[in-house]
Amino acid sequence: MAIESISLFNPSQINPVSSTPKMSSAEAQENFGDFLKSAIDSVNESQKASDVATEKLIRGEDIELHEVMIASQKASITLNATLEIRNKVIEAYQEIMRMPV
Amino acid sequence: MSIFHGMNTTASALTTQRLRMDVISSNMANVDTTRAKLVDGEWQAYRRKTVTLQPLEGKFSNFLNVARGSGGKGNVGNGVKVTQVKEDTETPFKLVYDPTHIDANEDGYVEMPNVDPLREMVNLISATRSYEANVTVFNANKAMLSKALEIGK
Repeated sequence: MAIESISLFNPSQINPVSSTPKMSSAEAQENFGDFLKSAIDSVNESQKASDVATEKLIRGEDIELHEVMIASQKASITLNATLEIRNKVIEAYQEIMRMPV
Repeated sequence: MSIFHGMNTTASALTTQRLRMDVISSNMANVDTTRAKLVDGEWQAYRRKTVTLQPLEGKFSNFLNVARGSGGKGNVGNGVKVTQVKEDTETPFKLVYDPTHIDANEDGYVEMPNVDPLREMVNLISATRSYEANVTVFNANKAMLSKALEIGK
């Protein structure tokens, strides 16, 4: 039977600070922008899915009513999550702007 | 396994219960149908249909996770699906004496479908309640996610 070491982690697991890549502020902004864009895209995706389902239903195509409802609820939840994140970001921004200089 | 896993599972259950409802509707609608199938030149009465359910297995990665015994998440299941809609060949047709019927045999008996309205009603209640229960699960799921959005408010 193998005996496990007592320590929870070994020092090699800890990344030395110097190994984190340095990034210019422009790059960081670009990365953040990309991340935000992809996040909003995925939210938009669920909104579109909900729209498609609703249209299918009103056209009388083969789709169950609960599928439409579930699609719309998913869209609503993802949108609410996005709003929550937006509120947090704006809150942080305003907090910074309120700083007395 | 996204945050909507539970919702997808519930959706599969709702679809299944809807299908059960459709099958029960068909059984009830055909309670007097004597000409469902033409077998060797003779009309056969409608046979009641039943639904066979099976858990939804999902993707290969789930099987792999279960086999490895790793991560309880692979074990949570993915919902339910209908494997087949089978005809009930066990229950015999009901013989009704009606010599004026067009499908009566020489002795004046007609083979009526093996649909028992009482049994169908019980199944109907079961399907309806099951559907309601799954809607409740869905709403609880949604309430949980909405509550999570309130964290830090």
